[in-house]
Amino acid sequence: MMHLVDTVEVSPEHVRDYLDLVGSLGTAVMTEAGARFVSMATTPGEVGERVEIQVVWAFDDFVHWNEIRKNLVLDPRYHEYGSAAASRRVGGTRRFFAPATSSSS
Amino acid sequence: MLRRFEVYAIDPDAPVERVRALEAACRRCGRFIPEVLDCAIGTNLSDAPVQLVWEHAYESPEAYRRYMVHPYHAVVVDRYLLPDSPERIAIDGPLGAGLYGYACDVASYRMRTGIRRLILLRLDAGTSEADVAELGETLERAPEVVPDMEVSVFAANTMGSAWFDGVTPVMGPPRWTHLWEQGFASFDALDAHRHSDTAVAEFERTDWGQATGGLVKRSAELFYEVSGDHGPEAAP
Repeated sequence: MMHLVDTVEVSPEHVRDYLDLVGSLGTAVMTEAGARFVSMATTPGEVGERVEIQVVWAFDDFVHWNEIRKNLVLDPRYHEYGSAAASRRVGGTRRFFAPATSSSS
Repeated sequence: MLRRFEVYAIDPDAPVERVRALEAACRRCGRFIPEVLDCAIGTNLSDAPVQLVWEHAYESPEAYRRYMVHPYHAVVVDRYLLPDSPERIAIDGPLGAGLYGYACDVASYRMRTGIRRLILLRLDAGTSEADVAELGETLERAPEVVPDMEVSVFAANTMGSAWFDGVTPVMGPPRWTHLWEQGFASFDALDAHRHSDTAVAEFERTDWGQATGGLVKRSAELFYEVSGDHGPEAAP
């Protein structure tokens, strides 16, 4: 199992918009392409800073991701989702995580 | 072999360090994915609305498929490209999907330094195979009359629709049906060719449609200085 972790920065006034976008179009596009929704979380919005939103998707491995990626690219809604997300964020990162264990586990 | 080009229109507001990072990610790809051959990049100098060109090749479709599932591809290269990535710096451009390429028996495109030029062509859908072959022969024989043209390859843009596994089309015919890949030793050599009185140069100066009797419907040109990966000790 691998996780795709997108952490985006948004202005406080765009947090709800961004969450709703991920929850509607984003989830439809990603899950129909083969990814599984894992979680969505935000940093506090009342502290005078930009809010960070973390969205996590899961898939089996990079072979599975390659198939998901193909499905995404061929879905016109994915490009609509990408444009809408870009217009609502001011920055962010994308990282892939694989499970790890400590030597004592 | 599979010869492949990816071309990117870059967000004009993208931070320069991220543009450099994408360039480096493409140029160094072969260090992390051994199946990626002849890796080089260039900054397009034509009027076409794309800035970065990444040229490379694969020994076989199997090698290409290993590239497609390699972590470096997903984690590093795609970070700057996929529409939903928060780190995207590529933008959608009017030149059509920015992936072109063709199958070939030998690496006759190979050129470690110099000026690469790509002529993207859309041939009329009704063009006969014989007419395509005749056009290809004319273009590929160009170095016989253009001494400073070191590379001349004409091929169908099969990678434009078969980008998933290098063989099987996963979408309709590409906007650009064919490519004419050229290589020159220098900008001076390219310039000399453009202004020469050879039949091929005249062919290029004339409207492509007129010069080919309507066979070519549209064309676009990219050219750039080839910047290859010369090892970890070389400057980024």
